[in-house]
Amino acid sequence: MSFLKFLKAAAVVSAMLATASAALAKDELVVDLVNEPATLDPHMQWNPDSYYVYRNIFDNLVTRDNDGEIVPQVAESWKQISDTELQLDIRGGITFHDGEPLTADDVVYSVKRITDPDFSSPQLGQFNSIADAKKIDDNTVVLTTKEPYPALLAQLVKLSIVPEHVAGKLGKEGFNEAPVGSGPYKFDGWDRGVQVTLSKNDAYWGDKGPFETVVFKAVPDASTRVANLRAGTADLVVSLNSDLAMQFEGASGVKVLSAPTERVGFMGMNTLVPPLNDPEIRRAAAMAIDREGIVEGILQGGESVASQMATSAHFGFVDGAEPIPFDLEKARAIVEEKGDAAKVPMKFATSPVYDQRIVQAIQQMLNEAGFDVEISMTDMATFLKAAQNPDQTGRPQLSFGRWSCACQDVDGVQYPLLHSSSNWSRVNDPELDTLLETGRATLDEEARLEAYSKVQKIVADNTYILPLYQAAALYGANDALVWQPTANESLFLNRMSWQN
Amino acid sequence: MTSFLLRRLGQSLVALFGVMTLVFFIQRLTGDPTYLLVPETATQEDIEAMRHALGLDRPLFVQYVDFFRDTLSLDFGKSFIQNVPVTTIIASRLPYTLELAAGALLVAVVIGVPLGLLLALAQKKFWTNGLMGIVLAAQSMPTFWSGILMILLFGVSLGWLPPSGSGSFAHLIMPSIALGLLSMATYARIMRSSVLDELSKDYIRSARARGVKTRRLVIRHLLRNSAIPVISITALEISQLLAGAVIVETVFAWPGLGLLTVQSVVSRDFVVVQGVVLLGALVTILMNFLADILYSFVDPRIRLDGTGG
Repeated sequence: MSFLKFLKAAAVVSAMLATASAALAKDELVVDLVNEPATLDPHMQWNPDSYYVYRNIFDNLVTRDNDGEIVPQVAESWKQISDTELQLDIRGGITFHDGEPLTADDVVYSVKRITDPDFSSPQLGQFNSIADAKKIDDNTVVLTTKEPYPALLAQLVKLSIVPEHVAGKLGKEGFNEAPVGSGPYKFDGWDRGVQVTLSKNDAYWGDKGPFETVVFKAVPDASTRVANLRAGTADLVVSLNSDLAMQFEGASGVKVLSAPTERVGFMGMNTLVPPLNDPEIRRAAAMAIDREGIVEGILQGGESVASQMATSAHFGFVDGAEPIPFDLEKARAIVEEKGDAAKVPMKFATSPVYDQRIVQAIQQMLNEAGFDVEISMTDMATFLKAAQNPDQTGRPQLSFGRWSCACQDVDGVQYPLLHSSSNWSRVNDPELDTLLETGRATLDEEARLEAYSKVQKIVADNTYILPLYQAAALYGANDALVWQPTANESLFLNRMSWQN
Repeated sequence: MTSFLLRRLGQSLVALFGVMTLVFFIQRLTGDPTYLLVPETATQEDIEAMRHALGLDRPLFVQYVDFFRDTLSLDFGKSFIQNVPVTTIIASRLPYTLELAAGALLVAVVIGVPLGLLLALAQKKFWTNGLMGIVLAAQSMPTFWSGILMILLFGVSLGWLPPSGSGSFAHLIMPSIALGLLSMATYARIMRSSVLDELSKDYIRSARARGVKTRRLVIRHLLRNSAIPVISITALEISQLLAGAVIVETVFAWPGLGLLTVQSVVSRDFVVVQGVVLLGALVTILMNFLADILYSFVDPRIRLDGTGG
């Protein structure tokens, strides 16, 4: 064979290989996660790398559409039959991946499984307002809550229905290894530490998935995820920051997808110990923080300045609230005027999990205004323990957090952060407590909205907490992938497609 | 020989006991994993319930005794996070660690040993300084940087190799090189100084005087006598490589033990950390033991009963 012939043959072979890999890309979607899922039992773990995967294997009682509205899934419709009872009509014709039908019994079993204290689900706290689940007939289940609980539906968005005949038989461990659900994708295999493979459920009752198989890989290093995407060995990668996303500019075949999430970045202050027990000093601290600067100078990923501890994706968001303006001069003047009272040294508790660029920026801004702030960095477990110190005054003087209740209801954000009885709160205001309790315990939407609008005013007037920004999630994707990321940070495969 | 073996066995048991005690207490000093396992909205009661479910509410000493009893009966426990037996988790990661260790060792030995020899033999040549510079550069380049450069060059721009992951021989190449280059430099330096040391000895001079050819001299005498430090290094390198190469594994998404260890330490998955550390201690002890035995084969002057030399 002459050299020219060899070259021609090589060209033909490589063209064939290229076509083959292109064809393969259409059938198989590769998603790079940060870590492998902790578990695929939807009642056992609550972290993004787990639910990115298992939300495709299981159907939930209800779900949210791309606009954030709660829409039917396993429950076809629902109605509040008393203050504490929610009646759910179970959709007929859903089958699990093993061919067995999904029944009202499975719904009751799933609710009881996750709320059973002995099962010790990490998600128990999200569902323990449910006192009982009862099957009325083959298509009807009634959930009873301990008290009127308006955020129930918002929580049920996260309640996956598992098959009693499988989960009951296999037990916790067995079910995690071979999960059976009713979702648009079936569990195919789990190569531990490497990847989880799902395959399309052709018998799915709703919108079917566009990919024959989907592989979720564990790729801990963000630069490597980007490299995989650019090399074409991944089609969708999660958890990018704006620096990495900028590398995409000019690169062909890949794009950045971003969506505002329901996560609010905030600066928490201990309002019970000096110096931040003085509302004027808190106001000075708030005015010293240049939030535009943080959003546009540091984050640059589609975030926006927040005016309250909620986003427009939350029920209870107050329209028209204005953020406290950045005014360094005024902040300085207040600190000067307060003198030593404002200059009590403050510890800014944090852990490497939080974006240290923001922590350092806040420290610097506060010190520029005349405060004396020192960063105290510990690991996450230690930080969490300090932040949830049973003694309210022992909780951090300053902290930075990004809160999401994954329920899109302000109750899930403001109650834990502001009600004096909560683990996290550094506020003790009886009037605020009463309003938060009203918001939590009445089913009347008008009354709730009114309560939360008052909460917003009290929090802003007293500067109990400083909302910083609405966080955004950044994903990298193959140019041909059509997908609209949503506020709840889920990867629903059957809402994606290939272009053309 | 027997008394040597018994003594080493005794020492190993004491070392293992020490390692287990240390890992048990140090981990528990570093914080409570319960907070990492419950959602943010958990109440104090939820946290208590989870702590109870994990058995972390028992007195520390009771936990310690249980840990020993379970370990002796070969029950290494279940991961707090994954709820899967530690043995299953480690067994799934171990083959990858072995693969990568073998690949890296191959790169290190195949390049490092001849390079060291060459550097020693051609000591006076002008280019050896340059070569030595390259060796030092290879050793001082941080792997997170050299790794990502390799990925960008061979994985993204040229497209010759898969950028990351595991599953085929092609996947193994870049991580092996990234990891092996570090040890390669060590081998080259050790081999060089060891050979230089031998070259200055009388037997080499007299062999040269007798007119023994360089090739024969190298193969018959130099290599064998310079091998002792190389064996010691290999024992150390293997135990280090098997403990996992955290950075290389992270950059190349290689699912080995190093990555598992770091993830488990960060998430306070005590049970997994205990398992990995125990395995690491066992491997280190075993490797040192093997190295001791190997010495006596390579150099009979070294006696295992300690009476030689």
